[in-house]
Amino acid sequence: MGGLFSYLKSLIGGREMRILMLGLDNAGKTTILYRLQVGEVVTTIPTIGFNVEQVTYKNLTFQVWDLGGQTSIRPYWRCYYANTDAIIYVVDSADRDRLPTSKQELVSMLNEDELKNSILVVLANKQDMEGALTVTEIHQALGLDQIKNRTFQIFKTSALKGEGLEPAMQFLSDALTKRK
Amino acid sequence: MYTLFSGLYRYLTQNEEYCVVILGLDDAGKTTYLEAVKAAMSKDYKRMDPSRITPTVGLNTGQVETTGIAIQFWDLGGQAELQTLWDKYYSECHGVIYVIDSHDRDRIEESKEAFDKMIRNELLQGVPLLVLANKQDLPDCMGVREVKPIFNQSAHLIGPRDCMVMPVSALTGEGIVEGLNWMIDCLKRNSEVRPPNVGDR
Repeated sequence: MGGLFSYLKSLIGGREMRILMLGLDNAGKTTILYRLQVGEVVTTIPTIGFNVEQVTYKNLTFQVWDLGGQTSIRPYWRCYYANTDAIIYVVDSADRDRLPTSKQELVSMLNEDELKNSILVVLANKQDMEGALTVTEIHQALGLDQIKNRTFQIFKTSALKGEGLEPAMQFLSDALTKRK
Repeated sequence: MYTLFSGLYRYLTQNEEYCVVILGLDDAGKTTYLEAVKAAMSKDYKRMDPSRITPTVGLNTGQVETTGIAIQFWDLGGQAELQTLWDKYYSECHGVIYVIDSHDRDRIEESKEAFDKMIRNELLQGVPLLVLANKQDLPDCMGVREVKPIFNQSAHLIGPRDCMVMPVSALTGEGIVEGLNWMIDCLKRNSEVRPPNVGDR
């Protein structure tokens, strides 16, 4: 019965895309999530656990999971990897000191078999801050040149100002629709 | 006996993979070209609407299997700032496809400069090079006859490596297969210098 329903649903709108939003604590994941969902900046507190929201972009619906990024809870990210269509990896572009840590987390995440086929979008967030790294610098700091068999795309964003999120969503929806 | 069979088994199942990097200025049509390649090589590939392709900042990948080999394509961003990242892919690539916007006369010099900088890199020595004069579908574009002399000025930098200039339209798919076939021949011929990655199928 459930199969029938999901089949009918697939005829109407297709299955909901599952997107994981990951990154170190204080990268701005939750702010981005609510920027995408309600279109404004909400006051957030550090996420312990996760926030999950339905985000609609054009005629596509995404289920976006925003997982807490603190050191102690990062090991639990893997519990959410199954059936992930895309990963949004958020980086605080002004936090130079912790980029190596961010790189480590990204690398170990991308080595997971369950994420082998998911599309990667890197958001170089907090571009509104002074001294924010450029795309090229982020590319190098995260060691993205090591990625050789996966399509990925970097976007400069400022969740605070709402800049750069639109093209990122556009890319995701194009890439995910094509894959369906 | 076991070694014989296991050797035979490995011979039959292993897969040779070559990597080809797609370079060129921004808006030359690299991503559209990659889409055209995928569409030409796999029957049921749903091509992305070319008007929806946005400037690449990062990497687009594509894998194509043909005549017993696999080719992994890396399509990189072409904006000036991103050109500094190109050399990260040189040591691992087996071939280079350089895409030119034949309709953009104003930037042909800039394209030539980026091209020169690329082929000067020692890591690319001997690597086959396919130069594509793209956007041949546009009226008033430069033909191969016009593009070739410009890039021929760098003949001393190109040296003895396999190099070919070909007209192509990534939009209509014209010339895609011809270019690819040329590249495949070169990759195989050059495989003693740059052996393919061998993996299990």
